[in-house]
Amino acid sequence: MIYVLILWLVQDLLQVMLMGFCLVPEIFLLSLLFLALLPSSERKYDERLFIVIAFAGGLLWDLRWTNLPGLTAAINGFLLAAAILVWYKMPAQGRSVTLFSGLCGAMQVLSGLIHCFFWTVSSGVAARLFIVQQLLGIPLIIFVTFIYWKVWEKHV
Amino acid sequence: MQTMNRETRVILHGIGSVLLGFAVFWFMMAVPPVRYVCIDGTNTLLYIPEWPSMALRNVLKYSSNWVLERETLHERVSKLEAENQKMSAALQLTGAKPAVSAAMFIPARVTLRYPEEWWREIRIDKGRANKVKEGAAVTSDGYLIGRVTRVGAHYAWVELITSASFLIAVAVDETRDLGVVNGDDKGNLALLYIPEDRKIKPGMNISTSLMSDEIPPGLPIGTIIAADKVKEGFVPMKVKAGAHLTQMYNVEVFSSGAEVSK
Repeated sequence: MIYVLILWLVQDLLQVMLMGFCLVPEIFLLSLLFLALLPSSERKYDERLFIVIAFAGGLLWDLRWTNLPGLTAAINGFLLAAAILVWYKMPAQGRSVTLFSGLCGAMQVLSGLIHCFFWTVSSGVAARLFIVQQLLGIPLIIFVTFIYWKVWEKHV
Repeated sequence: MQTMNRETRVILHGIGSVLLGFAVFWFMMAVPPVRYVCIDGTNTLLYIPEWPSMALRNVLKYSSNWVLERETLHERVSKLEAENQKMSAALQLTGAKPAVSAAMFIPARVTLRYPEEWWREIRIDKGRANKVKEGAAVTSDGYLIGRVTRVGAHYAWVELITSASFLIAVAVDETRDLGVVNGDDKGNLALLYIPEDRKIKPGMNISTSLMSDEIPPGLPIGTIIAADKVKEGFVPMKVKAGAHLTQMYNVEVFSSGAEVSK
C-alpha cells in the first residue's frame, strides 16, 4: 500500500512542478485501476479497498489542489467502481488488455471532463487545460497498459 | 451468486463514494472555517515533501524567464528613472522634502492558484513569520494585484483585485477623481462611482487612494480602457490591470515598516 501513497505523491509533485502550465494526468487513479484489475492470483487486496483508497486520495487531492473538498473523491470512487463493474460484467473472454486500456482512457477523459465542468475559468482556458491533460495522459495509458500486458502474459 | 455479491458490493461502494463525497463537499461549503483549516493543514503537511519539487520548478522557471524578463526590466527601469527625475525636479521647485518611509515590500512566490478560484485568490509562500499582515497590499511588477486576507505561519492567502468581493478606493492620477475599483470573478475590473459630468477618458491611469496603513496611497492599479453606459448619474469604467494577472509567479507584499525575516 505504500506504493499507492508514493504514486499519489508522484502525481502531486508533478503537479507542483507543472503548476500554472497544465494539469497532470490521473496517475493515482489509473494505478489503482491497474491494481484493482490484476488477476486474482497477483492481487493482494480486495478491489473494494481500492475504491476506498481512491476516495481518500481524491479527498486529499481536493484539499491540496481543487478547493472543492469531496469532488475528486466522489469522482474517483465512482469511476473506479464503474470500471471494476464493467470489467466483471464482461465475460471472461472479453477481459483483455484492450478492454483495460479502454477503461484507462475512459477514466482519464471522464475525470478531466467532470473537473472541467466545475472550473470558473473561461471556456478557452478550460479547453486548453483539458486537451493538454488528455495528451499527457496518452503516454501514461500506454505505459500502464504495457505493464498490465506484461502481467497478463504470465497468466495466459 | 458470489459474483453477484461482489458486483453488488462494488456498486454500493461506488454509490457510497458519490454520496459521501457530496456530503463532504456540502459540509465544507457550508462551514468555511473547517474547509480552511483542512486545506491549510493539508498544505502544511505537504510543504516538506513538495519542497524539492517546488525548488526545481522555480529554478527551471527562473532560467527560462530570465532572458524574457531582462528586456522588460530594462524598459521599466528606464521609465522609472525618467519619472523619478521629473518628480525630483518638481519637488525641488516646491521646496518640499521627501518623506523617508520605513515601508518595504516582502518578495514572495505564488504557491497555489486554484482553477476554480482563478480570479479570486492565490496563496503565497510568506506568512506571519515573515511579518506579513492581514490586509496588506500585494503587488506584482509594481502594480496592485490584491490584499492579504488570511495569514498562516509560513503562507498567506491573497484576495485578487479581480474578485467580486474586492473593493478598493482609488484615484484617477490625471484628474484626482476618486472612485472604487471592483472585480467580477471573471478577470475584469470596473471603476465605479465616477459622476457622469467628470471628464475621465480612456488611457488615464488609476492608483490607490488613502485607505489603510497596509495599503499605501499611490500604488498603480491599471489604466481606464472604456466607459460603460451611465447608471443613476455615474459612469462605470472598464479598467485594464497593469499587472499580468495570468502570469503571476512572484509578488511583493507591502509591509508598513516591519523588518523582513528571510
